[in-house]
Amino acid sequence: MRTFAGLLLAAAAAYAQLTAEQKQLNIQSFEKVWTIIRDKHWEKNPGGLDWQAIHAEYRPKIERAASTEQARQVMRDMLARLHETHFAIFPGNVYEDVGETVMGGGSPGFDTRVLDGQVVVTSIDPGSSAERSGVHTGWIVTRAGDKELARLIQKLKSVPELHELTLERAIEAALSGPEGGDLEITFLDGANQTRTLNLRLGPPRGAPSRFGNLPVEYVWFESRKIGNIGYVRFNMFLDLARVMGEFGKAVTDCKGCDGFIIDLRGNPGGIGGMAMGMAGFLVDKPDEKLGTMYMRDNSLKFVINPRAGAFGGPVAVLVDGCSASTSEIFAGGLQDLARARIFGTKTAAAALPSVIEKLPNGDGFQYAIASYISEGGKALEGNGVRPDETVELTRAALLQGRDPVIDAAVEWIRKQRTPK
Amino acid sequence: MTRRFAIFLFFSACSGWTFADDALPKAETILDRFIEVTGGRAAYEKRKSEVMTGHVEMTAQNVKGTLTRYSAPPDKSYTVMELDGVGKIEEGAAGGVAWENNPMTGPRVKSGEEKTQSLREATFNGPLNWQKMYVKAETTGVETIDGEECYKVVLTPAEGKPETTYYQKKSGLVVRTTTVASSPMGEFPVEQDVSDYKNFDGVLLPTKMIQKVAGQEIVFTIDSVKVNEEIAADRFNPPAEIKALMEKK
Repeated sequence: MRTFAGLLLAAAAAYAQLTAEQKQLNIQSFEKVWTIIRDKHWEKNPGGLDWQAIHAEYRPKIERAASTEQARQVMRDMLARLHETHFAIFPGNVYEDVGETVMGGGSPGFDTRVLDGQVVVTSIDPGSSAERSGVHTGWIVTRAGDKELARLIQKLKSVPELHELTLERAIEAALSGPEGGDLEITFLDGANQTRTLNLRLGPPRGAPSRFGNLPVEYVWFESRKIGNIGYVRFNMFLDLARVMGEFGKAVTDCKGCDGFIIDLRGNPGGIGGMAMGMAGFLVDKPDEKLGTMYMRDNSLKFVINPRAGAFGGPVAVLVDGCSASTSEIFAGGLQDLARARIFGTKTAAAALPSVIEKLPNGDGFQYAIASYISEGGKALEGNGVRPDETVELTRAALLQGRDPVIDAAVEWIRKQRTPK
Repeated sequence: MTRRFAIFLFFSACSGWTFADDALPKAETILDRFIEVTGGRAAYEKRKSEVMTGHVEMTAQNVKGTLTRYSAPPDKSYTVMELDGVGKIEEGAAGGVAWENNPMTGPRVKSGEEKTQSLREATFNGPLNWQKMYVKAETTGVETIDGEECYKVVLTPAEGKPETTYYQKKSGLVVRTTTVASSPMGEFPVEQDVSDYKNFDGVLLPTKMIQKVAGQEIVFTIDSVKVNEEIAADRFNPPAEIKALMEKK
């Protein structure tokens, strides 16, 4: 009897009556979500629906919602009617980790990816505290300061709508802090031994770049040869004059190369127009385009302006779940034009910046404001670019100092030049 | 953006003529009045070159920069903008060729409607030459802009989209232009409000232009206009990147 009563108490607690104020906040949240879709969706009739009728249908449901979880479900059901990805409601405690991700100015000097549910070091910045302290690619990061990363991953992965990019950014934020400060980071090394290092947070890699209202971003560009194959990698489509200049120089210096690799892994995008300009170094045919962006009142074709002396050899583009926005426009367009072969893992499916806003009830609301269709007719927003050759990073390869994605691209390029 | 900038500058200039309220004046009359109120035919005819400098701001994005535009008869134009975070954007038109060299999208030689639009806008002393630029000019109504009645004149070129210009009844000055800009990226409605006319060597030119295109607002402010200053002979030559493309074709 006591147990039964206890269960009832637990159930009652779980579905405790909302206060009048909480109920009102849920209704305000519903109204905010509905209004944003009405005003900002790229279609005047979002999803082909009578959006006013949707309001009439769901408003009574939100008024009847007996808990915040029920209210959240009502809003999710309404968004599901759009049949589009990138529209999500997530609980307030998740929003705190992703909605207002605050990057510290300082970095310990290594990059990571979540592989098999673990945060694995994928690259080390030259000259960084991590390099000096002997951090190695393939090491697992288990803790950053007081944050258990496994717990953070578990919490964020509880919301399936949140894409990989958001997860990786939350981890990046956990691994940052005030420049000049120290961060205690716990690793599992190659022998799975625990190592705790106190790493000094240095300036981010690259040169500071400002574009309009965007915050200052540190942009780096690297270019090298792998045998007779050109290779470039840059972390953002920003610092336009410098990055376009270095990209152009790398391509034109590689006229006699067997092929060219453009590594966009981890590149979250930037200025969309740069995709067109860069493609012009690789495409010789006139009147080609990467795709079209559709907004509420107009559409924008991402045309390619071929340069005199564009590179004509094989091109490989490397992507992963953190390749977003301009990276996807570039990779997806060149793939559709059969001008590049794509290696790696599926991109972030965030061809356009989706916005995350806080709702009056504390939940987060993620939505996209436009649609982008690549030249082959695929909607990149919510779908992403699927590689022609899926190649995953593995901890084992990273521990050996190898990069299986680059290896696959190099092998493919060499085969293009091998007489059959 | 310089296109609208250019189109409108062409229309800069007027006096105290009045028209009967119950009848729309002919477009030719309105255009002639514009020439008069902005300085008169003789003042225009004295102008053999123009170098205009100013600044530009994309307000929502907080992107700022400078601009310089060189113009000479009969249809030579070269504009260079230096935008923070973008770099140098050049546009030119001369001798039947129109081009753009943009660090973001790359160099390109214009064609089709976009080319004819650029060449039209490069016409020096445009107000005097409108009959060479348009096959039809028609007054289509009166609209109120900022509390002032304006004649709405639709100018139709031989090739390309019509351009609508709003001439204030009271002053005779152009206060707004609207058209559809053509480019390989698509067609975009453009609305440009112009104001703050100032006298530069006998001709009134607007010094503030607020352009709305594709949901963006761009503000152009003219700081100086030098008239009849010598312009280097090669100023209107396309840069090497454009020449390479022309040779490729």
